[in-house]
Amino acid sequence: MIPYIGYIIAGALFLFVATDILAVWHKKLKLQLIVSTALLGLLALTALYGIMSGQSSVALGIFNINPFSMLFVLLFSLSLMLVNFLAYEYSNDYAAFLMLLGFASIGMFAIAMANSLVTILLGIELMTVPTAFMIMLNGKQFVESAIKLFILAAIAISVLSFAVALVFPYDPSLALASLATNPGISGTYILVLALLLFITALSFDASLFPFNLWIPDVYTGAPGYVTALLAGINKKVAFVALFEVLLLVMFPLAGYYSSALQALAIMTMFFGNIVALVQNNVKRLFAYSSIAQAGYITLGIVSVTQYGIEASIFQIIVHSFMIIGSFAIVLWLESKNIRTITDYNGLGSRNAFAAFALTIFMISLIGIPPTAGFVGKFLLFTSTINVGLLALTIIAVINSFISVYYYAKVIMSMYAKKDRSAMKATWSINAVVLVCLAVVIVFGIFPQPLISMASAAATAIFPI
Amino acid sequence: MIPYLGIMLASLLLGIIGVLLVNERHSRVVGSVFSGITMLLAFAVLVSGIQSGSLNFSENYIYYISQFNVSLNLQLTPISLALVLMASVVAFVTVFAGNPEHEREKTASALILLFEFAAIGLFASGNLLLFFIFWDIGVLALFFMIYLLGSANRRRAAIKFLIYELLASLLLLFAIMLVYFYTPMHSFDINYIIANSVTMSSSTQTLIFAFLFVAFLINMPVFPLHLWLPDAHTEASTQGSMLLSGVLTKFGGYGMLLAFALIPAAANFSLFVALLGGFSAFYAAFVLMTQHDIKRVIAYTTIVEMSIILVGIATLNPFGTAGATFAMLAHGFAISMLFLVAGSIGHIFADRDFRAVKGVIASSAATGYTFLIGVFATTGVPLTAAFIGDVLIFLGAIRAFSAMGVIPLLSLGIVGAYLYYVMNKSVFSTREVSKTIEYIGSSQKLGYAILLFFIFLFGLLPFLILNFFNL
Repeated sequence: MIPYIGYIIAGALFLFVATDILAVWHKKLKLQLIVSTALLGLLALTALYGIMSGQSSVALGIFNINPFSMLFVLLFSLSLMLVNFLAYEYSNDYAAFLMLLGFASIGMFAIAMANSLVTILLGIELMTVPTAFMIMLNGKQFVESAIKLFILAAIAISVLSFAVALVFPYDPSLALASLATNPGISGTYILVLALLLFITALSFDASLFPFNLWIPDVYTGAPGYVTALLAGINKKVAFVALFEVLLLVMFPLAGYYSSALQALAIMTMFFGNIVALVQNNVKRLFAYSSIAQAGYITLGIVSVTQYGIEASIFQIIVHSFMIIGSFAIVLWLESKNIRTITDYNGLGSRNAFAAFALTIFMISLIGIPPTAGFVGKFLLFTSTINVGLLALTIIAVINSFISVYYYAKVIMSMYAKKDRSAMKATWSINAVVLVCLAVVIVFGIFPQPLISMASAAATAIFPI
Repeated sequence: MIPYLGIMLASLLLGIIGVLLVNERHSRVVGSVFSGITMLLAFAVLVSGIQSGSLNFSENYIYYISQFNVSLNLQLTPISLALVLMASVVAFVTVFAGNPEHEREKTASALILLFEFAAIGLFASGNLLLFFIFWDIGVLALFFMIYLLGSANRRRAAIKFLIYELLASLLLLFAIMLVYFYTPMHSFDINYIIANSVTMSSSTQTLIFAFLFVAFLINMPVFPLHLWLPDAHTEASTQGSMLLSGVLTKFGGYGMLLAFALIPAAANFSLFVALLGGFSAFYAAFVLMTQHDIKRVIAYTTIVEMSIILVGIATLNPFGTAGATFAMLAHGFAISMLFLVAGSIGHIFADRDFRAVKGVIASSAATGYTFLIGVFATTGVPLTAAFIGDVLIFLGAIRAFSAMGVIPLLSLGIVGAYLYYVMNKSVFSTREVSKTIEYIGSSQKLGYAILLFFIFLFGLLPFLILNFFNL
């Protein structure tokens, strides 16, 4: 059955893109929504089967089928489904958006299942360029942030290709996993340079400081569903690529990248949290919060243990749902011209469900039990204490504490004044928020199934 | 064996769902019913404990994170039994009597049940991660309680409360992660850690104790980390205040008892802890004398009493420990009764400044006399439960710190003197009587009665709890 998983995924992806392209002509949008959701659901089910079977193989010569890749195929297909629903309701040109989403999704799934550095390079390209166009589709006012994203993505891609080129002399196959067996690798400074370039390039998309200065502008400037895509999926794809490069190709250099990432993680957390303290625009606040969250996720890689990777994977999955849910609410409120924290006053009485959901998402982002965000942070912090990085853990805990203030500001504003003019959210917003809320609460109370999956994935990716 | 603790937690969760399903008018009744069931179950635990002569309640449910061997395991020690009893009674009275204005009853009842769930889970939890999780749930429930139901300046008070409490919770989290990794078999299980923590190096123990100590100091609250409490009380609703002083501060007290039990090296610091407790008691007593808002006065008595309890905990002998436990039980009943009375006074006269409120006794005799007995019960007059607690604490303190140990008792004298002055000025001053704005209902009076009953029950029959201690 295992070899068929590759064919099913490839077939479903092909159909997804093909029907998306066709949609540009026939314009039957509702049908298109159903078809794309069904195909993504097929992908998700196949991936779930792949995780359950727990075996690993290579399909079609380019796709790695193992619990790690399948877990991320599952995550990306589910989150793409959610973003798809948001875009259906709010996009000006849903058909064109869907076509671009189809291309981008190939990049995402290719990276999740990559078995060579070239696939990662192509995947990053295929993912970021259509994203820039998705932003641009919506009119002149979005061009600025689209250009910003496009230029920085182009720089990141060129840096990435340079890094790949530097690896080439050492391993012409450019396969993932082969350099680990090369005994002559340590002490070769060209490879250290390649390593730093890889981290730099992938940090653009993973939003690690100082490569994340575009994030607030683009997140705020882009339409909400693209922001959800950027924060919920694109960033996670970059982390997946980071796992693959660092753990498979560059594993002998673990000492170097562990300390480099430690510095990046500390700076990212402080940058995100401190700047978020003074934000007034909720979307911008979430942009900075998602930067800080990227810092937390990095903590798991710093420890370079299987357990740390497991913690990172758990947090990636959970954060994806938290942030898509949050941006769904932000997107809906933005369409009603509610943007700043003071605009959020009285949301609790205008739409109790949205306010409750946003509160839970924020509690989860702070990392307070019983939400999934707490479990993720708990795993991450224990993973760093486990390897004796007490100072780093204390810094992370302090950052969690700083973040309380700005999240609490929004929560308090939502429940501040009684404003009885009720607002109804559209069905797609409600559905997306409900799904995300269920994930955050259910995996907060019963995290074990998700931890087991993350653990299986970490076992699959971690060498030794 | 009946899994009492599990049923209690389940009934509270059902209660929350029930409260959220019914309409505003019936929510208080539904909340009271489920909270009452929980209270009866707590007393069933006490009765079966007395019958069998020992506490043998240990329950294990679903796994939370199997990697860390963390499941929902609940157990009862004598200390936690006393606090579970107290929390269930206080929460029950709070939910049905604490809201004479009938303001947002649905939200209030749901949050009270959630808080009760957290409190009982925390006192009965058998491992530290669970302790932390219930701690945070309780803090969040009370944060929303203060913020959603409080008075005009609640915004500032609520964020102050949240920041202080979450700082405490993060310190706690860090400490329990350290405990986990430095115990030989990596465990969160409280019994296991108590048995094996000697093996940790003394510097590690000191570090862990420092984190735990600050976390619990914030929560108790004790000088210099007490600043959130008076503000939170001034702005919180009556129900919020009852839970805040009655139950939430006991999280810190229970945690402090736990910290001294978990970390053997903490014994080196017991003298400093006792000194801090003693100083804090006098400090709060003197600050108390400058307050005019009845709620603020009562809030400062909480700090005094919790500081004395800290002295009792720091004695590290059976008398001090049993005394601290008993004093927490007694203080929970007494202080929530006083806040209920203060809430009623605010409701009756629409003012809580004791210089303005005159002749409570003429407008509402029940409120006036309950206030009087509440003052007795906080200052430790014989026959009330607090008397037993204070006697035990100071017996322990004399043993541990010789005659100097009794000095903190004087702070209670100051508190008593000022409270009698307040009584004299406002409650019993019948020459002029303030205008009555509203009347209190029978549910408030029933609330007084229940709390009075328990104050005298444990004052007259202290062996109900003390039997389980080896004195």
